Amino acid sequence: MERVESLQIFPLKITRGLVQLSFVGIPNRPGITRPLFELLNRQGVGVKHLLEGCHQSTSDLLICIAAEGFARLRGELHEIRARLQAQDFVVRQPVAVIRTLGPHFDLRPGTSGLLLTALVQAGVRIYSNATTITASTCVIPEEQVEAAERAIGKTFLLPGAKRS
Amino acid sequence: MEERSKTVEIIRRIGAPEQEKISITGILKSHDLSFLLLTLPAAEDPPAAVLRLLGSHGVNIRFITLYDDSPATRLLALCLETESLSASLELLRSHQAPLDIRSISHHPRVRILSVYPYKERGQVAERLLTSLRLSGVQPLAVNNASSVLSCVLSSDRFQEALSCVDRVFQLP
Repeated sequence: MERVESLQIFPLKITRGLVQLSFVGIPNRPGITRPLFELLNRQGVGVKHLLEGCHQSTSDLLICIAAEGFARLRGELHEIRARLQAQDFVVRQPVAVIRTLGPHFDLRPGTSGLLLTALVQAGVRIYSNATTITASTCVIPEEQVEAAERAIGKTFLLPGAKRS
Repeated sequence: MEERSKTVEIIRRIGAPEQEKISITGILKSHDLSFLLLTLPAAEDPPAAVLRLLGSHGVNIRFITLYDDSPATRLLALCLETESLSASLELLRSHQAPLDIRSISHHPRVRILSVYPYKERGQVAERLLTSLRLSGVQPLAVNNASSVLSCVLSSDRFQEALSCVDRVFQLP
């Protein structure tokens, strides 16, 4: 893929050793996810990444937490799923979160397309993506981090890289 | 009256509403945008192809959530400039079959409400979303990228959403 010289991507922050929990089909009722967040808070487990998608009467909640946090919670998660009344519950591990920052995501058309295309062409599975303002965060399988880094490096100008 | 009673009942069930406010540094409010929600097959290329297509026609995307909402489908939620909506819908509909877009829905006027810092505090999201839903404001999509938590909301409910922020968060 052609590198777009003017698009510089700033700190490529990679967080490994994570678990993605997807609670799918939660009824849209106020406070229904509270048992999950109370459990996370009680156990001191930080939510590294969160997104929620909303349908007419249900929502889907995806969070990433550290593997050691997951180990502390796992015994309680099926009860939590029941309390959330989630229709489905999917655990993916190990995953990594790749965060890229750049001023272009909300200013220049096509930047997100370039990023996702670079990852797809490198064979990287994108479990989820969240993009807002100047940041884009992808959750991918941990074993594909190096491939993702190479793909992003070929497409964007990374810090310290020389313009050619 | 009935609606009010229902709200009171909800509050009773989930516990006392008066909780300590969570400290945040600030909020960001977008201008009016438009919202698109696409259902795609659960494969890697369709979302990238949609974004490439929109980008190649000068459509700027200001917010994205992408994830699998079932083993067979992926949900792609986008916010774009309101003036791009008609052209984007036309473009997507004309490419619906080749891109295998299963469904397209949209909301013409939304705004993004962001709070920061998020700092891995899941309760920032939970408290805000609960407060919004108690007020009858249904978020269209929520994500966090970097240290900002962002909600896409219908523009006509935005003032109510700001009241929810005041109830939940302590701003400097």
